[in-house]
Amino acid sequence: MSGFDVAFGWAWLIPTLTAVAFVIVGVGGRRMARLEWGGWVAVAFSFAAMVVGILVAIGEMLAPGSYTDSSVTWISIPGSPGTFPNGVQLDIGILVDPISALMLLVVTVVGFLVLLYSIEYMHHDSGLARYYAELSLFLTAMTGLVLSDNLLEFFLFWELVGVCSYFLIGFYYEKPSAASAAKEAFLVTRVGDVLFLLGIFIYFAVYATSGSAPGWAAGGFKFTNGSAPFLAGAMGGNTPLLTVAGLMMLGGAAGKSAQFPLHVWLPDAMEGPTTVSALIHAATMVAAGVYLLAVVSLFLGFTPTDQLAIVAVGGFTTFFAATMAVVNPDIKRVIAYSTISQLGYMVFAVGAGFTMVGLYHLFTHAFFKALLFLAAGSVIHAVGTQDLFKMGGLRKTMPLTAAAFAIGALSLSGFPGSSGFFSKDDILGSVYATLGTHPQYWPFFLLALLTVFLTAYYIFRAWFLAFGGDGPRDATLPHAHEPGWTMRLPLVVLSALAIGAGALVFDPAFASLLPGIGVPPTFRGADLALSAVSVGLVACGFGLAYSFWGGGRVFELSESTWAARVRALLLHRYYFKAGYDWIGLRATYTVARAADFVERYVIDGTVRGFERLFAGLSDGLRRVQTGVVSDYAAYVVGGLVGFLLLLVFLAPWLLQTVGGG
Amino acid sequence: MSAFSPAGLLALSGALLSIGLFGILTRRNFILLLISIEIAINAAVLNFVYFAAFAGATGGLTGQAIAVVVIGLAATEVAVGLAIVLALNRLRGSINVAEAATLKF
Repeated sequence: MSGFDVAFGWAWLIPTLTAVAFVIVGVGGRRMARLEWGGWVAVAFSFAAMVVGILVAIGEMLAPGSYTDSSVTWISIPGSPGTFPNGVQLDIGILVDPISALMLLVVTVVGFLVLLYSIEYMHHDSGLARYYAELSLFLTAMTGLVLSDNLLEFFLFWELVGVCSYFLIGFYYEKPSAASAAKEAFLVTRVGDVLFLLGIFIYFAVYATSGSAPGWAAGGFKFTNGSAPFLAGAMGGNTPLLTVAGLMMLGGAAGKSAQFPLHVWLPDAMEGPTTVSALIHAATMVAAGVYLLAVVSLFLGFTPTDQLAIVAVGGFTTFFAATMAVVNPDIKRVIAYSTISQLGYMVFAVGAGFTMVGLYHLFTHAFFKALLFLAAGSVIHAVGTQDLFKMGGLRKTMPLTAAAFAIGALSLSGFPGSSGFFSKDDILGSVYATLGTHPQYWPFFLLALLTVFLTAYYIFRAWFLAFGGDGPRDATLPHAHEPGWTMRLPLVVLSALAIGAGALVFDPAFASLLPGIGVPPTFRGADLALSAVSVGLVACGFGLAYSFWGGGRVFELSESTWAARVRALLLHRYYFKAGYDWIGLRATYTVARAADFVERYVIDGTVRGFERLFAGLSDGLRRVQTGVVSDYAAYVVGGLVGFLLLLVFLAPWLLQTVGGG
Repeated sequence: MSAFSPAGLLALSGALLSIGLFGILTRRNFILLLISIEIAINAAVLNFVYFAAFAGATGGLTGQAIAVVVIGLAATEVAVGLAIVLALNRLRGSINVAEAATLKF
């Protein structure tokens, strides 16, 4: 064993360190007037977490396998013979395995860089204690999620990252659009969360009662640890119930990873600070859905029906989101759509059975997408607008940012040699190789391939609009300048990673973080032709973007053409948001009105009717209270006479019936 | 030992009760009302006494005892009733019960 496996015992430190930062900054941050130190506390703790994360990852590279650490029994249910033979034990524990080490690397490295970047980027904002505390809490939740050793614990941290996302999207809560975007994100992902929870229930019912499952500890609702951690390509039982459970997991992942049809929240989440978009809504949290699918595919397996559904959702989302990025005028939203599209690639790969390839793309995507967002943040910080059509010529005043954005764009589009090239072509090549046995993947493969062209087009359109040309189209923009070192350093580091992270997998030690991915990851014989096609598509996209937008040109669409109508459709996001608003406002409101009618007039009406009936009766009855003594005497006499008459007429019948005398 | 037939005695107490009830229902003068009540009560007392005598030694003195108690109660009731009459007369200057009808709906 290497000396680094001691780091596995420290894995719990990673979430704990950032949790400590959360408490310090959250409780103490408000006491200082300027709050600068709060940011540095968060940066320092996240740096420490990053160091531990890197050590854990190195340990995994040198000695791949699964390691359990500090598992605490949470709930223990004794077994009962017959229905529940083995009992079940729910733990809160830490499981370090190759893929969680990979995720730790991504989360802690990007987290540290984004926090460092925030120092200058957020300098002018108020509420910084809240900002740094929430980002630290997010890091705790995200690292806790990847270290979870069972699905229930996974779900707890999953909800925690969701609530952090809500807080941070709504960071500028005094802005109505930000507040409503936060609400939207929370509600839409909630749909997925409920499905996820239902899926957990099914798995629990199936595996906790039968007591054994592939990849699960016997008698425990817990991922296996120890000798045989991975079931590469293992399929779970192929029962309808497990198919439903798999679809529920897909629903949960679709909510968190903004896959069709739950994609609407992610573009609106750009209302949060750009740093938050970079860390949470590009590199890490939205990848949690993909990670969930990966974990389920490794430990439980999907049925063939599930796989087709996942491939369909991923492949379609890839294309669908990319089309909306093509026309958007907002620099952050273009990147947001690209995030949805790239997450679609990952889901697509995991669904087709190439879990490690999907995670490989997750890894490279985290760096180049964080780079794109931070470069965009640098631009927004300098010029104070997100509108691409107001920018222009920024490569002259911000050469470093322009270069960083260009590197991110090249990597995103899959320029040969960049990290995105390796991972994306690995996805396309891997799926292409299965098309012979799975012809039903063809349409989604073609959509994914076509997206390569769209990706190159939209991202270079953004680059040309922001950085190309002679100067800003809007003369009122402030004079741009490069930011300080705390913003430049993350850009430089991420640029290096965006270029080099893909090639890391050629190193067998690093590749052990992605067991079974194979080295080298791409150019597997027949893939060469496919890679050539893909590179050709990138070149076409780049060329089209240059001819429309290069050199300061602005491509004008004449109105009333079909193209303009398509653009309007895309700008309205295929009316999905309007449709959901319609469901939320009109449909729900109509149902609520109907329910209100029933409540008001049927249920309350019955109650009020009885009330009115008895009120009327008693109003009539009280007239007998005349106050005249003789009248009362008359009632008494009348009652007496009536009673006597009753006795006279009823007595024989009573005696007969009761059977007395 | 009886000089009256049972039917005649029961008819007498029934007649007394009816006269009393008639007075209660028709009189508006408080004093006449009280007298009517006395007549009705005495119909009941008469019944007790008669049935006690009819039962002879088997019934003991229960009927007579109740008759005496009821007479005592009737005297008390009249005392209270006359007190109310005096108070009513002092308050309203009239002992017509139909006029003292403020306690109503």
